[in-house]
Amino acid sequence: MLGQIAYALPFLAQGFAVTLWVSLLVVVLSLVAGVMMGVGLVYGPAPLRWAVRIFSDTIRGIPILVLIFFVYYGLPAVGLHLESFWAAVLALTLFKTAQVIEYLRGAVGSIPKGQSEAAMAIGLTFRQRLAYVIFPQAFRRFLPPWINGVTDAVKGSALVSLLGITDLMHAINQVIGRTYEAMPLYILGAVIYFAVNYALSLASRRLERRFSFIRE
Amino acid sequence: MPIATPANPALLDVCEVSKSFGSVAVLRSVSLQVTRGEVVTVIGPSGSGKTTLLRCVNFLESYDSGSIRIDGREVGYRETGTRQRRSERDLAKMRAETGMVFQSFNLFPHLTAAGNIMLGLLKVRGKSSTEARAIAEHWLGRVGLAHKADSLPAELSGGQQQRVGIARAVAMEPKILLLDEITSALDPELVGEVLEVVRSLAEDGMTMVMVTHEMAFARDASSRIVFMADGGVSAAGPPAEILGAEIDNERLRSFLARFRASHF
Repeated sequence: MLGQIAYALPFLAQGFAVTLWVSLLVVVLSLVAGVMMGVGLVYGPAPLRWAVRIFSDTIRGIPILVLIFFVYYGLPAVGLHLESFWAAVLALTLFKTAQVIEYLRGAVGSIPKGQSEAAMAIGLTFRQRLAYVIFPQAFRRFLPPWINGVTDAVKGSALVSLLGITDLMHAINQVIGRTYEAMPLYILGAVIYFAVNYALSLASRRLERRFSFIRE
Repeated sequence: MPIATPANPALLDVCEVSKSFGSVAVLRSVSLQVTRGEVVTVIGPSGSGKTTLLRCVNFLESYDSGSIRIDGREVGYRETGTRQRRSERDLAKMRAETGMVFQSFNLFPHLTAAGNIMLGLLKVRGKSSTEARAIAEHWLGRVGLAHKADSLPAELSGGQQQRVGIARAVAMEPKILLLDEITSALDPELVGEVLEVVRSLAEDGMTMVMVTHEMAFARDASSRIVFMADGGVSAAGPPAEILGAEIDNERLRSFLARFRASHF
């Protein structure tokens, strides 16, 4: 069994790198887009709020797998041809963005209105109020669900293998296709995914503790 | 009672301001002038528009018509052409000219007492952190909290938090200070220490508009009392006149009678 694993490792390493790369892209892009759209949802004018609300509700109502196939197989019909890798990244990012919007809305919405007013009263502009008053307080509430979402993104990235991208999951399946030794390799795969996600939740707990001094 | 004259123009000039929330008129053509160094107390039953008036002065609330000027400049709307809200940047600048202290303190819980005071000095006034810290310490000293500079709001009593709230507002050197029922959320034994700070600011010549239910304090500390009812100014004058027995205003008399009945 160890022999099988040793044989597989170089293949898996490449797949693992792709998994990490996809996850990183999705996490970063969805964070930027989600925070911006979330701010629009909380503070924006009515048309913007409606647009973000419809986007978020629609995306969250679609299974992630359907979304991936829709972007890859569906969008070419309207003239948007994406490589399988970028189609997968786009689909996962859309999905994740909708979640980040909700985390942000929840975290910012929990800050009492008086905080914004006090920040206004000393003459801070909208951006300054977000940067120095609202976000530092919202961060502690945003972090736990968001890190959960990051681990979901790492796990969810396994779906890109369905578009033929050689990520960790796909690499495992390829090795199994050659060795017919499914069990040890799936266990190995599970251990790798687990190691990444466990490290993330440890980091999250540490960060949460650092910000736990903020009491309302 | 100081009247605005060409030689002593009103620092705050509220002119026929009206505002409705939906179909409910909360301010009906309110006019009020406050000159430099005056302490004006606004009293009245709840729902009379006192707090809304105060919030319009630094444009935490918009108003539907009329004008509010501080030092001659219209607060929330552009002065040229059609009535148009000022830009976010302009509004922020205007708001920095007025200080506000809130009923619920609204200190920033993630910043220390000094940090609360320094934020505006650093980001709005562009002070260096050394300067800002020195100013923060000066004002914390003034409100008797020099030893609490590095405490977080959660570590302070209500009275201490409110004194930090006052220090945060005055450290910005506002032209006018707005106090919105600043002792209403405090335990009775903590009210005195906060009012003492307000009194000392008044003695320094700080211009203030104060909404309060502390009648004794209003009588002693204000240069003028404004009584609001149903969104309008119903009576205004020096404390002795407004709180005196001969006042010829039925609503004010019944307000004061009810007030005395419930407070003594």
